[in-house]
This record gives sequence, structure tokens and C-alpha cells, in this order.
Amino acid sequence: MDYKAPVEAYTGVVREVTIGKGNKSLKIGGENILPLHFFDQGSNPNPVKFALEILDMKPEDWPEHAVEPFKDVISDPVSWAKKCRGFAVDAVSLFLMSTDPAVKNAPADKAAALAREVAEAIDVPLIVYGSGDEKKDVEVLSKVAEVCDGMNLLIGPVLKENYEAVGKAILDHGHTAIAQSPLDINLLKELNVKLSKIFPPDRIVIDPLSSALGYGMEYSFSLIERVKQIGVITKDSMTMMPIIANLGGECWKTKQAKENKKQGLLWEGMTALSLLLAGANILVLRHPETLKLIKETIEAR
Amino acid sequence: MVIIGENIHVIAKAVSVAIRERDAKVIQALAKAQTEAGANYIDLNVGPMKKDPEDTMQWLVNAVQEVTDLPLSIDTMNPVAMEAGLKHCKKRPLLNSASGKTDSKENMLPLAKKYNCDVVISVMTDKGMPPDVDSKIESIMDTVTHANELGIPNEDIWVDPIILPVSTAGEGQRFAVTNLEFIKILEDVLPGVKSTVGLSNVSNGVPEELRPPLNRTYLAMLGRNGLYSAIADPLDKELMSLTKGEMPKIAELIHKTMDGEDIDLSILSQKEVEYVKTARVLMGQTLYSDAWLES
Repeated sequence: MDYKAPVEAYTGVVREVTIGKGNKSLKIGGENILPLHFFDQGSNPNPVKFALEILDMKPEDWPEHAVEPFKDVISDPVSWAKKCRGFAVDAVSLFLMSTDPAVKNAPADKAAALAREVAEAIDVPLIVYGSGDEKKDVEVLSKVAEVCDGMNLLIGPVLKENYEAVGKAILDHGHTAIAQSPLDINLLKELNVKLSKIFPPDRIVIDPLSSALGYGMEYSFSLIERVKQIGVITKDSMTMMPIIANLGGECWKTKQAKENKKQGLLWEGMTALSLLLAGANILVLRHPETLKLIKETIEAR
Repeated sequence: MVIIGENIHVIAKAVSVAIRERDAKVIQALAKAQTEAGANYIDLNVGPMKKDPEDTMQWLVNAVQEVTDLPLSIDTMNPVAMEAGLKHCKKRPLLNSASGKTDSKENMLPLAKKYNCDVVISVMTDKGMPPDVDSKIESIMDTVTHANELGIPNEDIWVDPIILPVSTAGEGQRFAVTNLEFIKILEDVLPGVKSTVGLSNVSNGVPEELRPPLNRTYLAMLGRNGLYSAIADPLDKELMSLTKGEMPKIAELIHKTMDGEDIDLSILSQKEVEYVKTARVLMGQTLYSDAWLES
């Protein structure tokens, strides 16, 4: 008897979200299959994308081997962003760390002006992450949205505590939102439900929080996997959004990554590959050599 | 459906203070209100009762029996308090509860025989909480067999599958579905046994104002699958009328949802829509979030 492999066909489709404008734009999501299930009926029109992370200030706690690729530009975010382009990134992710009240409490105006300068200097879309301080981010992210009006940046984190104010600014100025919740699928859905009442769901990207290998990565893995299953298989409209895995910072915080370069690259690489397999649509990495390693792994099949 | 009134519960501040200060009025008011609301039993949940278990329990049982003729459910993990409670009940009480744990088999189950009362037996064992339907059935069959050997017949046993909060990330909804299945097949595997649940636990951790819809809907669903009784809030009027069959249209919608039928929400009232959405969550058909009624 001939064996016929079973082929699944699902009805859920992850929303295709566009970041950036014109020839600086990028599409993520849009798949109606589970991650890498190319044997099933359906497709993923937008294979996984990669961004490199830059900071708005000279990093203080990075090991030398993480600074090394950017050592000549590490104090100048605009040049740093331009240099990322040499590593064939799909996007650049600017982390406005200096605005954190616990770091430098830098003013929103200054952060927003920098975001605009960076966005104009590069020919790929820009992702902007605030410090994560729920109060300060209302000021900072609203200002970024306003100053970069119409550029369709991907801006976050939009949290349960500030989604109304931050969501409105992102919407009013034509950007896309990163909805972030603390590693819990029920809270993730709740935020999407609430945000969707004031914000178009096809402009939301989910950040489920990405933990590093050895530091809770399996929670991020299961969560991303589950979001995809519930979206694609059971067609839950409130989980059918693409996912951003912002993992570089988490990986390079670990003792193992700080110890030596090879270990750091593998730590970031294994975390990235795992979350990619779970279904992340765009990954934010820190080290350009990790990016190279992952691209080679994907191309080698 | 036999409703065991849950409101005399030591977690409620007013109740714990009243017990400590021997203030019968507070306790009696709760007992009377639940009796008038149509409860069939009054649960006396006194927790572990470490201090003065015998005197306190005797006082409490007598205080409640002064104002109600309903039978009592003595709800404590402390065997000394349990025995003191059972001893003073005028009507045949319910021992709430025993389990498959060694400690419980040795100290609680024999009391059910000694006082010839009904007994709640949960699926818990020394290994903890059985995770799925098969293991729950396996554990309860073991414990019921043990109870039978002590001379307690199936007809006196009320099996409790242990309800867990539906909002528990990831697993909560699976638990809700597991218990629906368990109740459905219980009668086939252990003929003659009754069943009960601690209903309100399904909505534990959910914002206070959103708890009643979960409790009501889940009770109706469990009832359809053959649940005999529940420890629940008889002061929830809507819960009681749903249980008594006074809301047939809602019940029908819940049953259709359980059967996976397509339901056109656009022609339903807001209340009906809420029941359908809640039943979908409890069936695991849609992912739970605190905003489940809004999406």
C-alpha cells in the first residue's frame, strides 16, 4: 500500500504587517501554516526577518567582544545604525535606553529627534523601543511618534498600563505598534483585545518577551508556539499577529555570553534559532556575527 | 442539582472574626439567608482549625442548627474538628472532604463509616493532583475501592474532581475541559456514586465582577454532564434560577455551544452572547483572557 503523508490545511492567517514607508518598507507575517511546516497546504510569503539592535547611548555593560564590531561608532547612534546596513539587516532597532528614569532620564524631545535622524539616515525600516518604564514611555514614545510623523516606524513596548495613550499617538501619526505582555498567553490576548478597540489589529506586532537560553527560553518558546497554533489552527483573531523576538539584549546579559565571544555568539544564535523555529517573524539581535551564523544555518538547510 | 451553600467560609474576614469571638449572629444570618435562597446543605468551611477544634466546632454546629433545618457539610482538613462537627449534627451530614492521600484514608474515611454519613472524596492522592481524565479515574477508583472495603457504599460517596482556575496561564482551560469529561463518564465507571465540585474555584483569580458569569455557565455545563451537586453561592439568584431550569433558552445555548454548533451571535441578546462566549472559553474553544466578554 502506498503511503500518503497527511497534509494539513488551516483557515487562520497571520496578519501581514508592513513596517516603514515606500522603498524603505518591509512585510512580516502573512503565513497560514505553522512555522516551517512547508509540507502542509499554505505558505509563508514573508520568511523570517532580522534586525540589529543599537542604543541611544554608549553601552556601559557590554563585553568587549560585543562592542568590537561597532567600536568606531559606538558613541554615535546615527553612524552605528548606518554601519548595521553593512551586515545586510532587514531593519534596525533603536533602544532608547537613556530615557529610562533609572539610567539617565534623558528628555523625550532629545530621544525623538535622534529617532528621526536615525530613521532618515538608513534605507531600512526603523524599530524603536522605549525603556519599558510605563510612565516615561508615554512621554517618550508619544513624542517619537509625533516627530517621526508618517514614517511608519514599529514602536513599542505598548503595555497594558499605557496602551490607551501610547496606542493613540502611534495611530495618530501613522506608525505600527509592538504590544508587549509578560510571558503569559492570557494577558497577551487581553492586551490585543483592548488595544484593538482603539487601534487597527493589522498594525499590531506581538512581543511576548524573549528570554535567553538557560534563563527561561523554553517559556518564550512554548508561548510563541502556542500563539501561532491558536492563530493559525483555531483562527483566534486576537493572536493572529506577527511576532517580534527581541532577544539580543537578553542573551548578552548572561554570564555565559559575557565570558567569551564564541560562547556569546552561540548563546545568542541558539536562542534566536529556537525562537525562529517556534514561529517568531522578526528577530532583534545584537551581534552581527550571530546574524551571519543564523543566515548561513538557514541557507544550508 | 444539590446546592451546598458556600458562604460560611473562614476565608471571609467576617466569618473568621465571628468564629473567634463566638459571635453567633453573623454566622446565623448567613445560614438563614442561604436557607431562604434555596440551598440544600450549609457548608461550614473552617479551614485547619488549629485552636480549640472540639469546642469551636460544637459551638458552630449548634449555632447554625438553631436557625436552619438543613443538613450540614463539615468542611475541614482537621480530623479532630471533623469528628466534633459530625458528632453534633442532627441531620445526616456530609463529611467534606476525604481523599486518596494516606493521611486522609487513615484519619478521615473511617469517620464517615463511624458516623454513617455521606462523604466527599477528591481525586487527590499522595502523588498530588492527577493531571488528566484517565489518571483521575484511576485514582478515584482506587480510593473508592478502599472506602468500600471500610464499609462505605458507593451511594454515600460524592466524588470531587477538583476544579482549578480557568485563568491559570496555559493550563486552566484544559483543566476545565478535563473535569467536564470526568463528570460525564463518572457514572459509567463507578455506578451509584454521586459527584460534587467546589464551583467558585473556576473563577479564582478573575476580576471580582467577572466571576459570576464563569461560575454560572460552568455549573450549567457540568449539570448537563450529570453533576449531582456543587458547593456554590446560593445567594447568586441567576445561578440558582439557571440551576432550577428557569432559564431554558440560555441552557439550550450553552448546550449547543458544548456540542460545537455554529451560533449566530448577531441575533442574540447581550446576556445570551455572554453566556455563549463564556461557554466557548470553558470548552477550550476560544483562548481565555480577562477580556473574554469583550472580544
